[in-house]
Amino acid sequence: MRIVKSLGWLSLLAGTALMASAVGSMAKDSYTIGISNTVQGNGWREEMVCAMKAEALASGKVTKLNIAHRNTDAAGQLEDIRNLISAGVDAIVVNPSDPSGVNAALKEATDKGIVVVAVDQGVTEPSAYVISNNQEEYGYLGAKWLFTQMGGKGDVVYMRGAAGASADSDRDKGFKKALAEFPDVKVVHEVYTGWQQDQAKQQILDFIATGTPFNGIWTSGIDNVIVDALQESQTPLVPVVGADNAGFVGQLSSVEGLQGAAVTNPGSIGGAGVTLALQILDGKKPADQTVLVEPQIWDNTTDEGKAKLKAAADPSLNPEWPVSISIPDWTTYTKEQIVACKGPAD
Amino acid sequence: MTSFIRRQSWVSGLFALLVVLFILTRIIQPGYGSGDFGSLARAALPYAFAVAAQTVVVIAGGIDLSVASLMALTSVIAASMMNSASEEYALFVVPFVLAVGFLVGALNGLLIVVTRVPDIVVTLATLFILQGAALMVLEAPGGAAAEWLKASIVGTVAIPGIPESVTAWIPKALVVLLVCLGLVWIPLKRSALGLSIYAIGSSELAAFRSGVSVARTRIAAYAIGGLFGAMGGLSLTMSTGIGAPIPGPYLLASVAAVVLGGVTLGGGKGGLVGPIVAVFILRLMRTDLTLLAIDPNVTSIVEGTVMVAVVMLGAFLAMRERRP
Repeated sequence: MRIVKSLGWLSLLAGTALMASAVGSMAKDSYTIGISNTVQGNGWREEMVCAMKAEALASGKVTKLNIAHRNTDAAGQLEDIRNLISAGVDAIVVNPSDPSGVNAALKEATDKGIVVVAVDQGVTEPSAYVISNNQEEYGYLGAKWLFTQMGGKGDVVYMRGAAGASADSDRDKGFKKALAEFPDVKVVHEVYTGWQQDQAKQQILDFIATGTPFNGIWTSGIDNVIVDALQESQTPLVPVVGADNAGFVGQLSSVEGLQGAAVTNPGSIGGAGVTLALQILDGKKPADQTVLVEPQIWDNTTDEGKAKLKAAADPSLNPEWPVSISIPDWTTYTKEQIVACKGPAD
Repeated sequence: MTSFIRRQSWVSGLFALLVVLFILTRIIQPGYGSGDFGSLARAALPYAFAVAAQTVVVIAGGIDLSVASLMALTSVIAASMMNSASEEYALFVVPFVLAVGFLVGALNGLLIVVTRVPDIVVTLATLFILQGAALMVLEAPGGAAAEWLKASIVGTVAIPGIPESVTAWIPKALVVLLVCLGLVWIPLKRSALGLSIYAIGSSELAAFRSGVSVARTRIAAYAIGGLFGAMGGLSLTMSTGIGAPIPGPYLLASVAAVVLGGVTLGGGKGGLVGPIVAVFILRLMRTDLTLLAIDPNVTSIVEGTVMVAVVMLGAFLAMRERRP
């Protein structure tokens, strides 16, 4: 009798042990991920955050997202990242406000075993992974198309992104590379838009008001307001390069006489960042610390480009959202999920 | 002791609120420990200096809208001077940048006194001027900081004879903050100048009739504000290792902490301890909201609401006390 009783205890113990181990292996499928972003109210960044939420939900491996999403500087992002460390997240996906300004906190995170993935733009901290659109190629593709369209000569308005952001300086390298190939193209006006719609529109209206002639406009993705400004001020339309934002892609098909090209820069890279972080957490590390997604160019002057623009156009999206709402091999959510913009705990 | 607490009721209340928040943080995140407290101290650093700058000026009956721009300017000056310079060179950079802040602050005061244009207008103008100047020094974020400067706010202070479990809760950033503020504020508060600053904030006419040089006091208050602002700029460069020419969110945050800290916006009342505790409360609140994974768009609404609620409660309690 006694033996039976103790056997019963034993089996109970074994059962608990089994359950405990089952819980242990289940824990591997329930990560918490922290997100840090420092530009709020910009369509591209909003899509990026929604892609992060949607991917976390679609992956089924994320139980909680801690999101620090506000307008702030590098010092503020240091604070946000450290708060995410305090929250005990397994991975941090960050759109860095500066290539080196947040390194200190990123290092503290990786020292604690937290996986750090920078999306959209690079960081110089070597322990962090980077998944980004190839920004140099982005700048080069668009600029080369524009200069060819201008007949290889003339004056170009160069509307950059935010001063000091590494996406901006990488695009500048690509732009300068194309500029070197077209010696007769001159930059007549160079300005930082800060990737703000209202600011960029004001800047181009101010420039048009000076009466200085120009033959083309390169924008760093603040594009539809530039076309609006040209139309409103009844300035002759010049070729415009922008990104694959829904509003601009629509304009390329609908605005009479507009020649333009959209270079893809998917905001869904945020979702890809979550995927990469989950892969690393599951032990699948990429071959390189930096993973680049190559951009495409869709122009409305060739049939091939027109077909791509037509296929990509999506009037149901917010005009400031990029139309490439997913990245093959990197994102698994549906359009409904990213548009709903809901994370695992929402 | 009880009379002391009653006199400092606002500050005591803030301390209590801070303690409650700490307990709340421990409940939300049981692992919240000394390392996280160190992070909090480092996050509070630029805000604390900004609010110190604002406090001195507000007590003197003014307001300084240029504080965030001054921080950006001093930060880029420091970062560009230390760029590819030797470690020792930073020993010269620090006092130089502090002097720049002091002089810019004094210039603010001088303009107000000489032109008789209201504080809010003059400092609004200098906000733009300093912002432009910062962009002239560095067009884009960049530069560098000396390693010893960066290290001076990382880690904890080891005090011989005190166990590590205690010193782990004394982050260097907090020590740097208290020493820098104390070195300026404590002697100031005990001096005739400190008394004059309170006097002109309380009633300019009464101060003038009592023989206080209103003009000189006002210039001094702005200069000390500028000095604190420069410390804030340096702290930005120390924590990020770079200088950024676009001002951060420190202007409105400084005004918010001044109000929450019990300093009357009309001038003449309040101290420095309250606003500094208020900074820690505001930073810890953000930590808690991040720990709770609250929708980030709701976060700032919560921050604003709590602030208004605390100030209203304070005003209500003060009103009740005044009744016979």
